[in-house]
Amino acid sequence: MTLIEPKTNSESFIAVPQKRSFGARVKREWNKNAIVYVFLIPVLIHFFIFQIFPFAFSFVLTFLDWKIIGDPEFVGLKNWQRFLEDKLAWKAIWNTVLFSIYYIIPTMALGLILALIINSGVRMKALFKGIFFLPVVTSFVIIAGIWGWLFRGTESGMINYLLSFIGVDTQLFLADSSQALLVLAGLSVFKVAGSTMIYYFAGLQSVDKQLYESARIDGASPMRIFWSITFPLLKPIHFYVAIVTTIGSFQIFDSTFLLTGGGPNYATTTIVFYLYQQGFGGLNLSYAAVLSYVLFFIILFISLIQRRYMGKETKYY
Amino acid sequence: MGKFIKYLALILLAGCFLLPFIIMTLGSFKEMQFALLDPLFWIPDDPTISNYKYLMGSGMFLRWIFNSVVITIIPVFTQMFFCAILGYIFAKKQFPGREVIFWVFMAVIMIPQQLLIIPKYIMFADFGWINTYWALIIPELWGIMGVFLVRQFLQSIPNDLEEAARIDGANDLKVFFKVILPLSVPVIATVGTFSFISNWNDLFQPLIYMTQEEMFPVTVGLASILGKEGNFGIEMAGSTLSFIPTFLIFLFFQRYFTEGIQMSGLK
Repeated sequence: MTLIEPKTNSESFIAVPQKRSFGARVKREWNKNAIVYVFLIPVLIHFFIFQIFPFAFSFVLTFLDWKIIGDPEFVGLKNWQRFLEDKLAWKAIWNTVLFSIYYIIPTMALGLILALIINSGVRMKALFKGIFFLPVVTSFVIIAGIWGWLFRGTESGMINYLLSFIGVDTQLFLADSSQALLVLAGLSVFKVAGSTMIYYFAGLQSVDKQLYESARIDGASPMRIFWSITFPLLKPIHFYVAIVTTIGSFQIFDSTFLLTGGGPNYATTTIVFYLYQQGFGGLNLSYAAVLSYVLFFIILFISLIQRRYMGKETKYY
Repeated sequence: MGKFIKYLALILLAGCFLLPFIIMTLGSFKEMQFALLDPLFWIPDDPTISNYKYLMGSGMFLRWIFNSVVITIIPVFTQMFFCAILGYIFAKKQFPGREVIFWVFMAVIMIPQQLLIIPKYIMFADFGWINTYWALIIPELWGIMGVFLVRQFLQSIPNDLEEAARIDGANDLKVFFKVILPLSVPVIATVGTFSFISNWNDLFQPLIYMTQEEMFPVTVGLASILGKEGNFGIEMAGSTLSFIPTFLIFLFFQRYFTEGIQMSGLK
């Protein structure tokens, strides 16, 4: 081991109290924390360019009329007014709300069931966990490709074929405006249930085992134990999963884009899909910016609810 | 009896979760002209590799895979590095503005990426980044989530080791590379796996920034052949090939996915 001369800038060195000039203080701070500034400053610049500036720019954009070609024109609140009167935008919001309703409870229920089974002590736990988690890491494009064929609205669609065994008539599925959103919600349940399972699994493992012991001694049935102990104790997780899934469902785009193109009859036009259509299909970039802000306010609202009820301790992603 | 039901449910559910992947793999080995007539089109009776041959021969598919590799691998490595060093900075260093900056980072996570896409499109058009890798690489060089994960992880590690190294005369960089980095391998692997999956699977951003077919990543490429009549076999072959990297990453780093999800969610 080599003995190294104590450096004058090291913190352990006793500082001589004296009035330092601003320059000297900056220099001292630099010597102490050079690593911070060398890496933090570029990252902050990057952060400003790719996060803060676009966020503000998008807001400015909502007051302009800009079609990429030509100069932007200031139009005040016209874009916002258009949004308020745009029936299709409200339909897109309503569709997204409906989608959440179709999707949140099944995702939570399936995630919880999977976690309960795996937590109850089964063989090859890791394998089954892996199988249920697989769709989470798989691209929407792959899953939607298969899903589209399974739910083909003809007699030769596999789901229709299976339904025919129990005497259900051929369904149109994605081509039926009352079913399309449900089929897309089903795809998302399949895609996301695995991550919900992981949250619940973590929650189940932190439940105090002694509670189960004493309940069993008191002669409680497994069902009773579940509804009186496990379910209520998982409350923070129910809440957290509900919030995360809701936020996710408001951002849904891929499955609509890949499978229905927003149809039939706008039944699967979600907020983000409508935003995409307006911005990049119709080149109404400023109006798309308004829609993106609407999405932002909805997500902000949901996040604030969580902040309010979960306190500072729980992070929300 | 209870045990029997439990395993029955488990195996049935696992079957449902695996079925799409089985259909994808089996379907990729079939000539698909009959797919429109047959509900069990994917069960093989005459396997062929013609779909794979077609993909390899058409040239575009390999180009899409290459594009995906480029826009995935670079951010994976830079994210691991920057998130590690920033996580260390926010967990262990004292500097003016630390709390404020971190608070701003956390607030910005609430902004949906879809909000940034329109201004970013205008900016990138201005930079000349449309149809270049820059549009998908430069914005992804580091990530707030990753910084948060590493910071959480390092906060739970006592300072003793770091102090010991300092007494031996190590400076910040040395402490980071010799002490912090080896300690944080699990969390850095988590950041890397998440970054891989999110970049490899992303559809929305490349869909907007990449308009020329030869610049598509494999997600956009697959989407472009999705649903075309008679393409099912080719689509499934393409899906299978693009799924292989995801699957391998998943197989080797499964532990980090679950750790990452737990760490980010529940504290």
